[in-house]
Amino acid sequence: MTEQRKALLLGSLGILGFLALWEAVGQGRWLGLSWPPLSAVLALLADENRQPLFARALGATLSSLGTGYAIGWAAGIGAAVLAHLVAPLREGLERTNAFIHAVPSVALAPLLILLVGREGTPATLAALNTFFILYVSTASGLGATQPALRDLVQVLGGSRWTRFIRLDLPLSLPTVVSGMRLAAPSALIGVIIGEWFGAPRGLGVLVINAMQNFQIPLLWSAVLLAVMVSLSLFAILGALHRGVVARLR
Amino acid sequence: MDAQPAIAVEGVTKRFRLEGGREFTALDDVSLSLAEGEFVTLLGPSGCGKSTILRLVAALEEPSAGRVAVEGRPPAELSRQHRLGVAFQDHALLPWLDVASNIALPFKVAGMRVDAERVAGLIRLVGLSGFEKARPRQLSGGMRQRVAIARALVLKPDVLLLDEPFGALDAVTRRGMNIELQRIWTEQRTTTLLVTHDVGEALFLSDRIVVLSGRPGRVVRVVDVPFERPRHPSIMRSDLFHGMSDDLTEALHPPAELP
Amino acid sequence: MSAVLRALRASWGILAILLFWQIWVGLSGVNSIVLPGPAAILRSLADAPGLYLSSTAQTLALAALGLVLGLLLGAGLAVLTWFSSLLAGLLTPLGIIFASVPVVALIPVLARIFGYDMRTVLAIVVIISFFPSFVFTGAGLRALPPGSADLFRVLGASTWRRLTLLALPAAVPDMSVALRLAAANSILAAMVAEFLMGTSGLGYLFAAARSDFDMEKALAASAIATVISVTSFLLASRVENWAARNWR
Repeated sequence: MTEQRKALLLGSLGILGFLALWEAVGQGRWLGLSWPPLSAVLALLADENRQPLFARALGATLSSLGTGYAIGWAAGIGAAVLAHLVAPLREGLERTNAFIHAVPSVALAPLLILLVGREGTPATLAALNTFFILYVSTASGLGATQPALRDLVQVLGGSRWTRFIRLDLPLSLPTVVSGMRLAAPSALIGVIIGEWFGAPRGLGVLVINAMQNFQIPLLWSAVLLAVMVSLSLFAILGALHRGVVARLR
Repeated sequence: MDAQPAIAVEGVTKRFRLEGGREFTALDDVSLSLAEGEFVTLLGPSGCGKSTILRLVAALEEPSAGRVAVEGRPPAELSRQHRLGVAFQDHALLPWLDVASNIALPFKVAGMRVDAERVAGLIRLVGLSGFEKARPRQLSGGMRQRVAIARALVLKPDVLLLDEPFGALDAVTRRGMNIELQRIWTEQRTTTLLVTHDVGEALFLSDRIVVLSGRPGRVVRVVDVPFERPRHPSIMRSDLFHGMSDDLTEALHPPAELP
Repeated sequence: MSAVLRALRASWGILAILLFWQIWVGLSGVNSIVLPGPAAILRSLADAPGLYLSSTAQTLALAALGLVLGLLLGAGLAVLTWFSSLLAGLLTPLGIIFASVPVVALIPVLARIFGYDMRTVLAIVVIISFFPSFVFTGAGLRALPPGSADLFRVLGASTWRRLTLLALPAAVPDMSVALRLAAANSILAAMVAEFLMGTSGLGYLFAAARSDFDMEKALAASAIATVISVTSFLLASRVENWAARNWR
């Protein structure tokens, strides 16, 4: 317990130290005007006149993120289950995924604009990123059932389907949830890159406009907002992961 | 006056702090001593603190009260001079090294030049010729323990500490390893402290057996083993061996505890 | 025959996508300025390979250098935290937070700080490789084989020997995971950075070709990046498998 408290204290100190350094670098202008102090960025985020701007951008980004994440989640798990149940498909599906994942998002984006339009591109890129990570984590989770447990179900006369429902699926849950957590930042990257290619609204659009117009504090605020979205999702899904692991151990 | 003992444990008590601040006494006023070249076994039920005694001699723990000395000095001094040999129940072989490199590891840890001939000699002694380049995962449980014992001996330690080295093996392999260890030990005669809960293993290998009771660990009996060395496996079938074995088993589990 | 079948079994998905794409372009009659088919892209690559060579070399060099620097810096800092539990307590949560930050979103910020040139591309690849390396190496240095920590104490190992003979070798599997994660990303991150800042390299080639409506050239540049990314991912996976096999 005391160890835990010490770790918490030190960790918070580290984070506070980083924030203090950020403020100091900005106040002292050690890196010029490109690095605003934390207080200036926070003040801008809290500025009431800017709230509608941030709210609109955040809303658009979150909606793309939610749609893309949900589609990628379902498709990734579905494909992994299919590969698990139909062995001949497995290798080819894996290769295809690695291939699609390796295509640069900047290259995919113009194709997607053609296929799904400017509005749909951020969500589609998020879906692709989520799909890849959930496929990989679900596949590895489904494959990790201990042979002894598999034998046990077989001895008890369970069918392949029973084994899948009663054994492989529940046992893969921690790995799947861990994949869900890793997919959140990745999906957000997809949304932001998609927005850079000319979506009408979103945090990515705000970032690019601020960058091109030298609105440094606005640029940092938008980036900080994106980082906060990613971290909150990561934290929520991390808590879910801990809950699942605690339940299954 | 006798020469000073190789290992001296004098009035040692060891308490551990549990979670929630409660204390647990693992050892209560334990004393024992080993002469140089003696093979002594700590025999006791699981959880009796026998491994704690070994960890105290290995300088892995500090006593709460009393004194532990190896050759008259604190054990930490001996480990700093790389003069302790040790083998644990989990073999603690490094999976990324082959058999020869695992055995040579203590040379590297001590910052000494690897004596390849010594390593090769030990591989022969523990019967692993031909497996020099094998990785631990390619070996059986018994073979891994042979590697661990060869590694414990490689620096010609003053004191050899064996903590249930065959605890994870099946009964047949274990008996075979006992016979092997007896043969190896007879060639080296290193002062040895063995921890086990196997009565037959203790009788076949040791000069003296120290029986411990559980919770807290106390010495309940010390038994001298009369068999001549080198020992032939056939002594395990003698009446004396069986009789002593029954006595020790009873000392381990006092009648009140038996169902 | 069986070799062909095996190859087909492994890559049917990719072939199907390419085939579908080619047929769709042929049937729908989209203008090649909007979307060329795979065959046209391949032809454009084969006709003028020299056009792509210097850009590819530059992006590849930046990505590789950034990858190596980032991995080394991350591992180096992890080793420092191994020496000092205070430093570990201060930096580990920060490292985990940064490892889950969408670094690509930071490119515009970094571009403003470092200026619009190759140094920024390098800095981005370094940062992208740094955090996985720091987090995974840090965990690996502490994932020791059972009993080995006690063994090293009994053998009287110095701190330095504990690091070089035990902790660092024990961290190799985790470090290879970091390598796999960072290897495929480094080339893609370099390309995004080049694309955004419009400096040089494959990303710039892509951006410039796209604004000239030369989609064949733009997609050929992406095809090169894809091949490099897949190759480095496969190579890194091989390293990871080798480590997983030999470190059990």
